[in-house]
Amino acid sequence: MTALLDIKNYRLDIGTFDGPVHVLKGINLTVNRGDTVGIVGESGSGKTVLVRSVLGIGPRNSKVVEGSISFDGQDITNLPEKDWTKIRGIRISMIFQDPMTYLNPLFTIGRQISDVIAAHEKAAGQGVSSKAARRARTEELLDQVGLPNPSMLFSQYPHQLSGGMRQRILIAMALAGKPDILIADEPTTALDVTVQAQVLDLINSLVEKLNLTVIMISHDIGAIATVAKRCAVMYKGEIVEQGMTQDILNRPQHEYTQRLLAAVPDIDVAPERVAAEVSEAKPGKRGNLLEAIDLKKVYRSQSGTDFTAVNSISLAVKTGEIFGVVGESGSGKSTLARMLMRLIEPTSGDIIFDGQNISGLSGEPLRQMRRHMQFVFQNPHSALNGRHTIGDAIGEPLRIQTDMSRRDIEARAEALLDIVQLPTMFKYRYPHELSGGQKQRVCIARAIALNPRLLILDEPTSALDISVQAQVLDFLQELRSELNLTYVFISHNLAVIRQICDHTIVMKRGEIVEQGDTEQIFLAPREEYTKSLIESGRKTSQAANLQV
Amino acid sequence: MLTFAFRKLLTLVGTMIGIAALTFLITNVAPGDPARLVAGPNATEDMVATIRTEYGLDKSLPEQFIVYMGELVRGDLGTSIVTTRPVLEEVMRYAPATLELVFVAMFLGIVIGVPLGMLSAVYKDGPLDQVTRIFSISGVAIPAFWFGILLQLVFSVDLEWLPVSGRLPLVTRPPEFVTGLLLVDSLIAGNFATFWTSLQHIILPAIVLSFPCLASILRVNRAEMIEVLQSDYIVAARAHGISSFRIVALYALKNAMLPTLAMIGLRFGWMLGSTVLVETVFDWPGIGLYAVSSALSSDFKPVVGVTLMIGFFFIVANTLVDLAYAWIDPRLRKA
Repeated sequence: MTALLDIKNYRLDIGTFDGPVHVLKGINLTVNRGDTVGIVGESGSGKTVLVRSVLGIGPRNSKVVEGSISFDGQDITNLPEKDWTKIRGIRISMIFQDPMTYLNPLFTIGRQISDVIAAHEKAAGQGVSSKAARRARTEELLDQVGLPNPSMLFSQYPHQLSGGMRQRILIAMALAGKPDILIADEPTTALDVTVQAQVLDLINSLVEKLNLTVIMISHDIGAIATVAKRCAVMYKGEIVEQGMTQDILNRPQHEYTQRLLAAVPDIDVAPERVAAEVSEAKPGKRGNLLEAIDLKKVYRSQSGTDFTAVNSISLAVKTGEIFGVVGESGSGKSTLARMLMRLIEPTSGDIIFDGQNISGLSGEPLRQMRRHMQFVFQNPHSALNGRHTIGDAIGEPLRIQTDMSRRDIEARAEALLDIVQLPTMFKYRYPHELSGGQKQRVCIARAIALNPRLLILDEPTSALDISVQAQVLDFLQELRSELNLTYVFISHNLAVIRQICDHTIVMKRGEIVEQGDTEQIFLAPREEYTKSLIESGRKTSQAANLQV
Repeated sequence: MLTFAFRKLLTLVGTMIGIAALTFLITNVAPGDPARLVAGPNATEDMVATIRTEYGLDKSLPEQFIVYMGELVRGDLGTSIVTTRPVLEEVMRYAPATLELVFVAMFLGIVIGVPLGMLSAVYKDGPLDQVTRIFSISGVAIPAFWFGILLQLVFSVDLEWLPVSGRLPLVTRPPEFVTGLLLVDSLIAGNFATFWTSLQHIILPAIVLSFPCLASILRVNRAEMIEVLQSDYIVAARAHGISSFRIVALYALKNAMLPTLAMIGLRFGWMLGSTVLVETVFDWPGIGLYAVSSALSSDFKPVVGVTLMIGFFFIVANTLVDLAYAWIDPRLRKA
């Protein structure tokens, strides 16, 4: 039997200003009909370029240097554009990472799916069917991906739907042509844990029902493990290891795979740190550094309806602890974090920092107070000004908040780079010359420049690769003991929360569902919501940390 | 959508009042005693005083403002000193010529600018893109009056292809008044000869007026198209097998049209202002020319009238742009 998809010694260069970059270096991958193949790799490993090449939508200025891709016996390596119309979207189709940006905002769902159907009918040369027929087929597809009320959805726009629904719609579009191969490019990365589990379930059920062949790429080895029977590990443009997913998880051969697996936080393993921490803590030393009392944020829309983002939350963060806030998107955790620093004005309630009520402060006293509390944002790629050097970025809070001389600021910036374990010469560099992990370290260095007492970290690792995430988490813990810091740590990733937080609150729709000692919550969750959250998190986490 | 439109109409009224207040203030802070100006250089103090009372200029500023606004509401823009006819009547007589010129220029700007911008984006950095780049930079840089005179010299004087100036030759009888737009009225009357003549007359001034507008529409549309074509949903549309033509001409263009529309709205107002120059060069009997000749004879009521008229058209155009925005983008309809 010939393979459905056969990639042989495929080498691809991308032409840049500084000459060609070797993005794919001799890829060999065979996919048979009915296979579910996962490709794991971190950002920059070339996995997206690889699958896009399979669809003939590789990056601009790219050039195949060697090797070939054949699909169902046909060489599609340098297929002319007009021949692609019979394959792309029909026989091979694709779903994407971020369902928020992959749907055209100005067209209805029905229009977008009908258009795909029409394009396929045209490509098949059978003439475009009637509007009504396409509508019927569209609703059938929407039903197939488990969306309720297809006839209403037909005339809705993307912005009216949730992330999970949009991802289902993208899957429906991909299924419109009854494809042989479905390529899933990080289909769950941008989704909440519970929705992630649902989408993975949907893909699995479609594989069974429609006998789909699936190629799924992800940096999340847990997601891969729930869908793919076989898997390949990509690293710097090469496949370093491939085989049965179970085997790779249990007996990783390549050194990179071993590192990658070791870095995945396990939701079911209690961190060793906890024991050490308890013995260190001296009773009585721990007062509350930050308290919130009855904090509330209500947004009023123009039409006059109120939306309560955060509803009467009270919490107390002890000096020196890592205070975790966990919840799904829309639970109000980021709003809460920003209110604690008064980056967003609370509608009502008090914020008490080190015994002082800061909710009434304004002007200079508020500015002074902000020296003691700093914020680290989710996405280090957008948190740094691309036109400022790293040295400028780190020195900025010093220039604003102190009257230190230029030379002192420079010296301090160097010292800070040293603290975050980056070479001091980095101060001359620009953000685009740094990797994601390095940028997040720079953001942390900037946040600790004024010797704050409290750091609020809003999803500090979710934009980073897993191995980088592990490094940053370790580093944050070291830094805390070195500088006597207190953290408020926000995350949607339960495994990460368990790994580093002492005390945790679980948020849902602007309210605290459950709070307590982190271990307590994970070992004996009291609320149904917490249980379901942990269960969904466990699904992918367990798959990745398989113990057979 | 209806409440949205209604709210837009309310803001339209509010802005109109603002413009009226502004023009009133400007005419009152301008140097010179209007009564003395009206009376002329040889008038006696008595005559000036009479005129002052007659025009209500002896009242306090707030009182004058209330009177002025009251007149505006009744559609009274005052009387021209030179022609002694009501300003509103004169403005209404000249407005169609200007609007016709602006509409034709706008039409050229959109019909040429949008597709050229689109093509420049699709073939970015290609030969076409380079040509349109030079074209649009000159469009913004060349002064209108100079460009107008140049076109007159080449096409009217040297080549004798097109008339130098005016709307219609003196001997031609204008078609029966319906809209005041000669191109439309002559078609309604079924008079194709007049249509053809007025088209020949309007083409040069319209080109001059549209050139900078076309250039900026082209550049904005190009920049937006480039950005939209790189967006995720375009990649997705390609992956789903939608044809390249459909992606560019429908999926991407609709998204890129939003900022382009904003530019069109702004340029519309700019064009109305520019007619002052273009109409003077081409002797086009519109409100721009009317404003210039009134200003030259210190007849300030018509100048205010024209300002109000241009302001009104500008606001209407931008309200239409806002409505078009909501029509194109479903996310704006709720607001």
